[in-house]
Amino acid sequence: MNSVQRTLKQQTASVLGKAGVFIVLAFFFIIAAFPLVWLFISSLKTNLELQISPFTLPKVLQWSNYGNALKMANLPALFLHSIYVAFGAVSLNLLVTSLAGFVLSREQFRGRELVYTLLTAGVLVPIISFMVPYFTLITRVKLYDNLIALIIVYASINIPVSIFLVTAFMRSIPKEMEEAAVIDGCTFVQRYTKIVLPLAQTGLVTAGTFCFIYAWNEFIMALLLTSSSSSRTLQLGIRFFTSQFVTDYTSMYAAIMISIIPSIALYTMLHNRIISGLTAGAVKG
Amino acid sequence: MRRDGSGVSGRHRLGIGIFLAPVLILYVAFFLYPLVFISITSLMEWTGISKAQFIGFENYKKLFSDSTFIIGIRNNFIWAFASGFIQIPLATLVALILARKPPLWKFLRTLYFLPNVISAVALAMLWKAIYNPAYGLLNGLLSLLGLPGHNWLGDTATALTAVIAQSVLYIGYFMIIILAAITNIPDSLYEAAEIDGASVVQQTFRITLPMISGTLVTSITLAMAYGMRHFEATFLMTGGGPAYATTTMGIQLYNKMDAFRYGEASAIGAILILLGTVLIVLIRSLLSKNDPMAEAAQ
Repeated sequence: MNSVQRTLKQQTASVLGKAGVFIVLAFFFIIAAFPLVWLFISSLKTNLELQISPFTLPKVLQWSNYGNALKMANLPALFLHSIYVAFGAVSLNLLVTSLAGFVLSREQFRGRELVYTLLTAGVLVPIISFMVPYFTLITRVKLYDNLIALIIVYASINIPVSIFLVTAFMRSIPKEMEEAAVIDGCTFVQRYTKIVLPLAQTGLVTAGTFCFIYAWNEFIMALLLTSSSSSRTLQLGIRFFTSQFVTDYTSMYAAIMISIIPSIALYTMLHNRIISGLTAGAVKG
Repeated sequence: MRRDGSGVSGRHRLGIGIFLAPVLILYVAFFLYPLVFISITSLMEWTGISKAQFIGFENYKKLFSDSTFIIGIRNNFIWAFASGFIQIPLATLVALILARKPPLWKFLRTLYFLPNVISAVALAMLWKAIYNPAYGLLNGLLSLLGLPGHNWLGDTATALTAVIAQSVLYIGYFMIIILAAITNIPDSLYEAAEIDGASVVQQTFRITLPMISGTLVTSITLAMAYGMRHFEATFLMTGGGPAYATTTMGIQLYNKMDAFRYGEASAIGAILILLGTVLIVLIRSLLSKNDPMAEAAQ
């Protein structure tokens, strides 16, 4: 009797537990996915449909909203600006952090730990508190309203994260290969270009992905450091849509969809790298 | 690695210097110089155009006697606590569930992180649409349930909660970090508990949580630090309004800069860094000292 009651109790608990688990997972599924799905569906409706019935599917798919978005907001040019800035920032960031990461992971010298700690401690700084100095510095070097300023700023802001990821990855490359290469007469520079750099590709891709996503999405420094439409990035562009598309909400949603497609595509391709990059720091606590 | 046993040669040292130089130049320009810059200019009356004048701690005095700045500080603390003590427990809960590898757990892990790769601008537009009083998703759902709608972002009573809620519910980043820590716990601990007849709940509280307490403290600290520096979602969704209900230190920094009050803007930057640092140190020492779980894990 007693044991029957006990198993009954356990079964109820396990059913309740399973229901609870399902509710939690479903709730966060909706939080993560539903707004995006809704945005996509809304971007294919007419404005009238959106206002009358925000949750139904469109009767006819209004792909013309995407055409409107491309035309009205000069989206292709903004898209190119963002591509240029993101690739520029990733290239500059990976160039400088791979050089430093090579030395920090493979060489013994005084002050190595200090340099490493200093560089990675940069993540603790709230970058928004640097608005005044960044603006002043960029204006003084005559790069205000120039996309190159954004490339340099984004590449620099990502130094702490990239140094952490690249150095950790380079440390895991076995030293034997380099030792053999040195015996064969490989120079310092050749060890970097011919051995460590090719072997560190995975780490560089991870660091580059983080930098790309940051640069692609960044808003406030772009707002602060540029002014004309010739150096406007996509994020600034879709921010300004609010005033341009006063009533045309569905075209605005189409424009937002266009702006997030690259992030989603990159994430779909590289999500395993991104997740392993995030957890590289988790183990250390 | 050295080419001979005689230590680092001069040429070798030069090589190290050349390889480190680019990163150090950028780091000095965009991290160290700005730090010195705001420390000094926060003590000055400066419009960016006129010549800066040394005025001591006047900017700080002015800020702390300004009631809207105090609201900004208060809101930043609310952000920090909501992030540390709502977002992290939620992330932990989901991580604990996913760690037991339910069906589709890998897919869910990937999906929960997805919002983190989407720009703040797009998310802000999205949530503005959700909260929109006329055609928004939230009021639409409420009307399906027969409940009245509400102007979520336009009402001082709900605006701050509305902006914080959309951020705190994106748990993906911390969930992944916590999940990784849980996965690192050796299986042997659970096997022993299983033999002793410990339930899932007991295992969670006696093994899992104590074993990941270090990661949890780090996550809470980080989440609170992010809350203290919060800027973008508020700037894009409400601009700090209505009537300063959602303002933060970051918003005020931007507004001061926009009004060419660079000295005050720098002072806010310095306060932001100081408060953030104090909070990090305080939370870390509080949580790891008074938390018996953290001690048990050490």
